[in-house]
Amino acid sequence: MKSLILSVASRALMPTLLIVSFYVLWRGHNEPGGGFIGGLVAVLGLVIMSKAEGVRAARDFLRIEPLSLAAIGLGCSVVSGVWGYIVYGTVLKGVWPFITVAADGSKSGLPVGSIFLFDLGVYLVVIGGVLGMLFAMEEVVAPEPDEDETRDGGAG
Amino acid sequence: MRFLPALLAFMATAWFWSFLPAISAGETRSWAWAWLPDQGVELALRIDGLSLLFALLITGIGTLIFLYTAAYFRNDDRLPRLLTLLMLFGISMLGLVLADDAISLFVFWEGTTVTSFLLVGFDHNRRYARASALQALIITGLGGLALLAGLIILGQFAGTYRLSEMVLMGDAIRASEIYIAATIFVLLGCFTKSAQFPFHFWLPGAMAAPTPVSAYLHSATMVKAGVYLLMRMSPALGGTEIWMWSLTICGAITMIVGSVWAMKQDDLKLMLAHTTLMGLGALVMLLGSGTKEAAKAAVLFLLVHALYKAALFLSVGILDKQAGSRMVDDLGGLRGAMPLSFAIAALAALSMAGFPPFIGFIGKEVIYESALHSAASPLLVTGSALAANIMMVACAGLVAIKPYFGERRAQKNPGDPVFGLWFGPAVLAALGLWFGLFPAALGHDLLEPALGAVTGKAAEVKLYLWHGVNLPFLLSLLTFAAGIGLFLVIGAVRRALQAARVPGAEDGYDLGLAGIDRLSAWVTRSLQGGRMTVYLKLSFAVFAGVIWMAILMSNTELSRPDFRVPLFQFGVVVLILVSTVVVTFTPSRLIAICALGGVGSGIAMLFVMYGAIDVAMTQLLVEILVVVFFAIALLQLPRTPISLGFRPFDMALSVALGLGVIVTLWAVLGTELNLYLTEYFEKYSAPKALGRNIVNVILVDFRALDTLGEVSVVLIAAIAAVAVMRAGREARK
Amino acid sequence: MLVAFPILTALGTAVFCFLMRDQRQGQMLASLGGALIQVALAVALLWTVTTSGPLSAQMGGWPAPFGITLVADTLSALLVLSTAIVLLCVVIFSLSEIEREQERLGYQALVHALVAGVMGAFLTGDIFNLYVWFEVLLISSFGLLVIGGGKAQLDGAVKYVGLNLIATLAFLTGVGLLYGATGTLNMADLNQAVSGRMTETAILASAGFLLFAYGAKSALFPVYFWLPASYHTPAAATSALFAALLTKVGVYSILRVFTLVFETDGTPLAPVLIVAGAITAVVGVLGAVTHREIRRILSYNIISSIGLLIMAIGIDTPLAITAAIFYLVHNMLVKAALFLHAGLVLKIKGSEEFDKVGGIYEQAPWIAVLFLVPALSLAGIPPLSGFWGKFLILRATIDLPSLALTVLVLVVSLLTIYSVARIWLEIFWKSDERGEGCAPAPALMVAPIVLLTILTVGIGLYPDLLYSWSDSAAAGIADPSTYISAVMEDPS
Repeated sequence: MKSLILSVASRALMPTLLIVSFYVLWRGHNEPGGGFIGGLVAVLGLVIMSKAEGVRAARDFLRIEPLSLAAIGLGCSVVSGVWGYIVYGTVLKGVWPFITVAADGSKSGLPVGSIFLFDLGVYLVVIGGVLGMLFAMEEVVAPEPDEDETRDGGAG
Repeated sequence: MRFLPALLAFMATAWFWSFLPAISAGETRSWAWAWLPDQGVELALRIDGLSLLFALLITGIGTLIFLYTAAYFRNDDRLPRLLTLLMLFGISMLGLVLADDAISLFVFWEGTTVTSFLLVGFDHNRRYARASALQALIITGLGGLALLAGLIILGQFAGTYRLSEMVLMGDAIRASEIYIAATIFVLLGCFTKSAQFPFHFWLPGAMAAPTPVSAYLHSATMVKAGVYLLMRMSPALGGTEIWMWSLTICGAITMIVGSVWAMKQDDLKLMLAHTTLMGLGALVMLLGSGTKEAAKAAVLFLLVHALYKAALFLSVGILDKQAGSRMVDDLGGLRGAMPLSFAIAALAALSMAGFPPFIGFIGKEVIYESALHSAASPLLVTGSALAANIMMVACAGLVAIKPYFGERRAQKNPGDPVFGLWFGPAVLAALGLWFGLFPAALGHDLLEPALGAVTGKAAEVKLYLWHGVNLPFLLSLLTFAAGIGLFLVIGAVRRALQAARVPGAEDGYDLGLAGIDRLSAWVTRSLQGGRMTVYLKLSFAVFAGVIWMAILMSNTELSRPDFRVPLFQFGVVVLILVSTVVVTFTPSRLIAICALGGVGSGIAMLFVMYGAIDVAMTQLLVEILVVVFFAIALLQLPRTPISLGFRPFDMALSVALGLGVIVTLWAVLGTELNLYLTEYFEKYSAPKALGRNIVNVILVDFRALDTLGEVSVVLIAAIAAVAVMRAGREARK
Repeated sequence: MLVAFPILTALGTAVFCFLMRDQRQGQMLASLGGALIQVALAVALLWTVTTSGPLSAQMGGWPAPFGITLVADTLSALLVLSTAIVLLCVVIFSLSEIEREQERLGYQALVHALVAGVMGAFLTGDIFNLYVWFEVLLISSFGLLVIGGGKAQLDGAVKYVGLNLIATLAFLTGVGLLYGATGTLNMADLNQAVSGRMTETAILASAGFLLFAYGAKSALFPVYFWLPASYHTPAAATSALFAALLTKVGVYSILRVFTLVFETDGTPLAPVLIVAGAITAVVGVLGAVTHREIRRILSYNIISSIGLLIMAIGIDTPLAITAAIFYLVHNMLVKAALFLHAGLVLKIKGSEEFDKVGGIYEQAPWIAVLFLVPALSLAGIPPLSGFWGKFLILRATIDLPSLALTVLVLVVSLLTIYSVARIWLEIFWKSDERGEGCAPAPALMVAPIVLLTILTVGIGLYPDLLYSWSDSAAAGIADPSTYISAVMEDPS
């Protein structure tokens, strides 16, 4: 299964894709990008890794169960909605604690707030959700011999 | 504890008794509570002469039956359950006769149906008991539903559900166009409940219930509910041809069928059940006659029948308990061993046969009197009454003489029963004699007010034991003579009847039920065959049908398409089209997947051309991932090529559906796009939502709730996918 | 903002439950807590709406029709409350029924996610958002169908999701057409935008697409196949949830969209609904009569109730709509009770098939009574909630010029009685031929059935409260102007 070329390439590609994905998420509010696209880019990176080094390695790299990551992401988005309610009494209203609006309407400060948290949630859900599905599928189709769950042995 | 129900019933009897002076003086008592006020439904109760007569029967006979039951089942741990059900029934039955609101009446009516169902199936381990309970439920349930419809129709017309107000509007109701429908529905309810032909067969089946239940529900009270309602509705619905003839004919047939079938029964209880049919038929027939005399006869016979029939049922129960059987041929010569039981049976049977000086005699006289003046057909009514009464004399002999005279036969060593068992029937039988000897008070206090309610105007009931020698008296003599004669040859008659095989209405029920079972199995099998492809095709067909229906009914003119698009765009469209065709016709899965990728990329390119970079990027990334997913899944699929037979129906379906969608989209292109949402987003995205990428701002701010939902979908889909993988893995092992 | 919290609570609880999926106690507490909060929210919502009129909330603070508006009128609030009650009962039941393995895969999270979809569908005032919640509930119900199951469950799930996807696709296309033709998605705004344009191909076709989608969701003839194919396969708690909620969302959408968005006068909608409803009712009850397994019978009973409901909606008099709403709520509670009871039978007897079970009336009479009461209610026997539902529907048919529908309702009711009586005869009365006893009934399984049974009895004895709510809900449907002004006049 494992190919040397892919393995070497993945070592270079994976971190790049992850950084790119985060950048895409960050700039998404003003330039093309956003949580959804960023998440998909990150997924691509991890897919390449799982193809190169196995699902096990990709899981280890993530450290956290992908589905839990997705759940945390959804949690972020829900919290973002409640945040708006706590500050303005309006669910899902944007809260920008680090931005000040000058009298002439120009804004300055760090564009981080409830809206970014929401987008971060989307990002995490996409990564966790898609990877969760992919890993589960790969483990059924081509179970790895060193997997600790013995009941997968008969599959394939 | 086990005598508590009897005590309660006795107290209720006393309470109702206390109303007697006021009610017989022509007063009424009523109570009402709002139930569903917007629909005019109340829980309204009212005591007038008719409901008081019934209430006294229900509570009085109830007292005796509850006592009897406690003795009959004294060593049975099912006694509490039985008494509970009997009490629930008693309450429902009381509610039924006291209700003045048609909907309340129906509520209690169904209460009696359900408790009857549970009581008929009391011996639920026996298949026969279960089948009989179901039969009773279906037949009376059918009638109940019809009755509800009838009552609602009447209530709608009258503007009130109060029965006491409806009966005052008789002329208007009879003249209205709802009359026929309402009458048919109400009659269906009454006829099924009171076991009138052709619904009579459930009553003998209901004999699967324990004997005290049969005596109480299926002889003295519940089966009279239909008769009660006929009496109650007479002023509102009665007096027309349809009313007169349906009651007279159904009643007469029920009476004759019941009497004839009674004679052939081996089981004394079944015989009594059939004589109950005779009694109910007689009551309905009398009510059909439409004269005041007939109503009077009906009211009187109602009481007469309740007294002697309950007593006889209970005495058959005693035979069953003490002598071990209730089969005609198993019993004989028991009068020495069971003198008290014999006395009870004899008293009750004499009343049933209509001998003087029992109340049954007066009842019969009054019936003949009214039959001779029937508004329907004196000949038919009198003739069938005469025939039925003759057979009743023979049946009375079978019940009271056969087991007690002749050669001694019994299944076990018989003797008279304990107090609890003989007390009830003894009181009932004795009352039959008492009322026969002193009928005047009965007539004035109890029957007169009841008759007033039936006829809708004040009435007088004068009862005498001795009417003098007149035509009814001669008919009575004829009845006795012929009846005794019939009893003497009863053995031959019974053999002849038992040999005869006549299809009955019950066969109709069996056929009907089997037919429903067969029909439903067929319908369900043909519609829900379990094949996914059929379901899919049908769903798509309906889908296509709906679209084309909408298209054909609408009137937008399709605009001329504008083909002047840049060459490059044209190329992309061609790419999408070619890919689609390849997907459809390639036998190889790999090629199909690549082609699908082609479709997706083409669409992404279109997005780019229209400036939707974000959407294009998402589309492309998703396409890549889809290919990855397919690549993994492909390893799992069998390597056989996809079979591509020519399926004209499928092709027609997809063409119809595709064309439909194209036409509707085309139609949308013709309408000018309203851009006020887009304009708002463009205007406020940067200044108010602090983001210049409108697509992203829409996703995470303007329409963040959509995104929240979609994000949940991603998480849920992942959870589901993991579960599917797990299930698939388990399934394969 | 109260309007938004049922959805947020459901999603938040789902997240909590999922993150704690390996800790049994924590998951149970989170799920139960979420369900209790839902009931409290729903009561508060219904209270507010019935005392001071429809409530709306603009998500993100963007004024309608530019953002997404959540709205609760009496109809929505009533259905939200019913949903919350069913959720609570199902959660309690599932604590005892659901196996460890299924819990670890995220069972409780899926339950709350499904409820998020249902709540969202009942509360949203935006047609695309409605589509999103349809998707949420479709995918989460698919997850619940397959979770911890074997081949039969997978098979049912594939049929379920396959047929429902067609409906979802139709829904999305319909929404697309509607947006293309009007440029708006807010349903109150659509009311103005569509006004007078019902003869346009795009609008009418969109109505057709949506009707097909909602019809399939409601399990209306001839697109009801998915329901009997799948409802008897999963855990009883799951099927109770489905039975109470899924089809009702379709019915709600028909009620809402085809009064608020589309003008149906002059379209054949009413006869289509009446005919489809009537056939559905008959076909459903015939299916119920023929099967020999509790949940299969009950599944077909759902179809027949849906038929009667849709028929009542098609009759479209104020009384008929009131009747439909009353019947809808009654049906949610009673169906949940009966499906849960099927799970109880499965637990104490190991099967729910006629040929394998019997004798419960003898061995555990109270369990039998606990079935009998909701079953009689389903059959429309007074004085239970089902009686008033039947009464009101009959009352509505009797106002029509022809008695054909009245007779149809009577026939369907009779066959319904027959179908539940068969269950009673075979499962409860018939003695157990295998001579086996009953396993003890867990209190956590009995309690929710008792609660639902008390509700059906309570509604039966005191129908006026639910009736007045249904009546006011129907009034809101008949005249959407208060709904529209609640959406358009931005309170915040």
